[in-house]
Amino acid sequence: METLGWQVEQLPGLLAVSRSGLVRAWDPPTLDRALQWGRYFQHLHGRFRAQPRLEAALGQRLRRGQQQGRGPPLGFGHLGRCPELLGLALLGNRALPPAACHRLLRSLLLPPEGQAPPGPCSLGLLARRRAAARLLPPPSSAAGSPEEPEPRVRTEAQLLLSRLQEEEEEGPGSPRAAGGQPLWLPRLLEQLPRPRVYRVLAALLLEQARDSAAAEEGDSGAERRELAGAVLSWMLGDPGRVSAFCRFLPGSLLVALAARYPQLSTAYLHLLTGWGSCLRYDPLRGQWTSSRCLGEDEVSWEELRARFGCFMRGPAPLREAALDALKNQKAQDGDFEVCGLSVWTDLLKLKGLKSKKLEQLFFFSPYLTSKAKKCIPPFGVKKAIL
Amino acid sequence: MAQDTAVPKLSFEYWLDKAVQWGQTTTLESQQDVCLHLPKLQEFLQQIYESLKQMNSTIAIQRFPLIGQLLGRLCWNPFVVGYDESQKILMCCLCCLYSSEPQNPVELKANSWILGLLRHLLFSSAWEINEVGTGTFISALGYTSVDYYSTLVKNVVLSLVTELKGNQFNGLNIHGRVSDDHVYVVSLFCVPLITLPDVTPLLEALLTYHGGESQEVLSSEFLDAVNETFLKKKIALSESAVLSLWLRHLPSLEKAALHLFERLISTQTSSLEEITCIIKDSLLPQLSCHPAIFRIVDEVFRNALLETDGAPEVMTIIQVFTQCFVQAHQKDNKQHKFPLKTYFPHHHQPLVIALLKPPCDLPAALWTQHLKYITDNLKSVVEDKSISSFADLFESWFLFVHFGEWADIAVEQLLKSENECSGVLLWLLSFYYNPHNDKEQRTQTLVEAQAVYDRLMMLFSCTTISITDLQAAASTKTDKRQPCTERLVRHLLISFLLFSSGGQKIAQEFISQVMMASNTTNEVFGLLTRTAFRLNQLGLKNQRVMKLVNELLQKLRFID
Repeated sequence: METLGWQVEQLPGLLAVSRSGLVRAWDPPTLDRALQWGRYFQHLHGRFRAQPRLEAALGQRLRRGQQQGRGPPLGFGHLGRCPELLGLALLGNRALPPAACHRLLRSLLLPPEGQAPPGPCSLGLLARRRAAARLLPPPSSAAGSPEEPEPRVRTEAQLLLSRLQEEEEEGPGSPRAAGGQPLWLPRLLEQLPRPRVYRVLAALLLEQARDSAAAEEGDSGAERRELAGAVLSWMLGDPGRVSAFCRFLPGSLLVALAARYPQLSTAYLHLLTGWGSCLRYDPLRGQWTSSRCLGEDEVSWEELRARFGCFMRGPAPLREAALDALKNQKAQDGDFEVCGLSVWTDLLKLKGLKSKKLEQLFFFSPYLTSKAKKCIPPFGVKKAIL
Repeated sequence: MAQDTAVPKLSFEYWLDKAVQWGQTTTLESQQDVCLHLPKLQEFLQQIYESLKQMNSTIAIQRFPLIGQLLGRLCWNPFVVGYDESQKILMCCLCCLYSSEPQNPVELKANSWILGLLRHLLFSSAWEINEVGTGTFISALGYTSVDYYSTLVKNVVLSLVTELKGNQFNGLNIHGRVSDDHVYVVSLFCVPLITLPDVTPLLEALLTYHGGESQEVLSSEFLDAVNETFLKKKIALSESAVLSLWLRHLPSLEKAALHLFERLISTQTSSLEEITCIIKDSLLPQLSCHPAIFRIVDEVFRNALLETDGAPEVMTIIQVFTQCFVQAHQKDNKQHKFPLKTYFPHHHQPLVIALLKPPCDLPAALWTQHLKYITDNLKSVVEDKSISSFADLFESWFLFVHFGEWADIAVEQLLKSENECSGVLLWLLSFYYNPHNDKEQRTQTLVEAQAVYDRLMMLFSCTTISITDLQAAASTKTDKRQPCTERLVRHLLISFLLFSSGGQKIAQEFISQVMMASNTTNEVFGLLTRTAFRLNQLGLKNQRVMKLVNELLQKLRFID
């Protein structure tokens, strides 16, 4: 067992070398040996797959091996995919010399009769799926719906989720931070490229909320909620992070998320009020402008207005919460009703118009003719609230 | 030089022209053109690969100087890369062109160009140039493009399926109908991907999707290709998807029916059970429960009978198909299914109802009576002077062919014992074998059959008979019998051999000496398989006959 553990510990190193310039010195026999190791690890995976204790033990040895080098987090599942991980890493490595590369191509693409190509998925199938992803047109109607992340983002969210689940399964007793959050979680999330990770996390949170609602009170529902909770606390745990998350994502998506996660709703409203407080009224131009060049903690008047507009179109409790926050801020500014004194008064005026007059005109008068509708907002109110 | 002839220069230039053309425009017409050419192109690529793998890269480039241009262009065409096994062949060709010891800058450059193409085929560009995007994101999670694209394709398919089914996941946002143009494009772009299992749910959703207009929204290339692939058993589709395909695209249904015929005729079947399996496997009898499908399939059968001049094999196929169809209809649990008789609307309904009665639902003692009822009805229709055109006569005969099992039972009933209804049953058999519109001819057949039958009945009680006795009983006084009468006589003889004690003793000998000499092995084999099938199906406890039939079949198979 000790020998096995030692061998497994070498895998991260092997993968790291296969991505590095060190392969420049590889000749065909070296390449063959590397691929043989890949097949051997795959064999180990097949042999110990159904034995959770061994799985966990080998997973830990893998992580131990990884501490010595850098690279993506590895788990027991990687042993099974080792030939394909190695093969693709080497194929992508420009440093591999021609003779070794020739051997690699032959063993990946033209395996000798009777020997299956490495990995569970042949490269032909991969190329075919890649072509399929390029060919199939995106759905025409899904665009514009914040609830439906586009397939690419959803895919990344699903892969992130399965990575999180794998980590959770392999290390249920791993050390946790004060908030009950496992320590591996920040390590994993922090190394993901930003700002892309924010959109992916939003998709993950949306999907989790939907799935756990579908799974109701079952065990899997509870597990999912716990995982989503851990991701959310990581997000909310750092002011800079939550600010970057909210600035990066569109208002409609944030409102859809806030409707499912009240903690996020509070944090987002808090951010919006912070951003609003930075705006200054320019009496010469008659409009709200940012105090200085748009920095990390500021948004423009138009954007602030659009983001509050999204709240107004959201579910009733969110609408109420946003209105309360606006009224609160307005009260703090002296509760004046004059334009240009408080950004909150001006926002509320727009919101008030929308929630009373426009709703009455557009939503409660279905018999209004289209001609009449065109005549309604002569002063650009409709444009202003959007 | 064998390699040169394997890849004609002309087709090389032809495909290079095509690749250039496809790469320059992305109009629907050019995409349709790609889809139409994919199978032929794959064949051509396979030929190229077979040549390439026998030479090293330097010779390959000398022999095919334009190969780089061709492969390069094809690797950038997602239709080609997505099709069936073309991507594998393309990669294998590239692999053959890679030189392990590049001697000069050109070869070095060629190597790096090959690796570039392979990376393009296997990773997204983000993986290649290492920018912050999908590639780095997925790698940072410890996944590869294998994991990414298998999940991505499933998600794209799922979102398109959801869109086609008309509403979003949570049921809150019901978007308007998707445009017909979009559905057309999706269907066309699916053509190369039909055999990719991830795409099957999308194929089924497309096949069951109907646009707002009455005209077809799916591309005909798609419908043809799905049908073709389904018939070749390269994909499995749900019954409802296949039903929808055949209902909306008549050429596909016709092809399916013809394909069934081809399979039955090209496969060496040795029993009716095998034929039944092949027929059921085609899904045609099950889906014929939809009257529109039944009508078209029946039309194909009608033409097959007319074109083969009533070949016994075709008659047997129609008979077995009808049995499978009736069984499927009984199993069909739909609430509003059509009664069986409505599938034969233009016929005398009491006759249809009588024919539809499966023999196993009646006690054997009532078979003769039931046959008499069938014959009386059939006779009144056929001999009704007011409607006796050739077409009407054919239709009545065609109807009876569907239920040919009753003709087999009639022969058996005739020869099992003295039968007072023999005249009636012989009329039925004469009609079955000789549906001639000339009444004189039919009467002639009847007279001859009656004579043979009378002589056979005289031999029936003899425990020992010789081959010569039987030959004499089957012989004719006239110079030449019509072929159809010959077939009827042979049917009588086979039944005599099986069911009379004297006949059973000489059956083996008689068949090998007399019948096989007259070159009628196939016909005899067909009659015996029909008998074996019926005896098995009805569970008749006639062990002796069963044993004899099996022995005879065994012998014929051996000779065959």
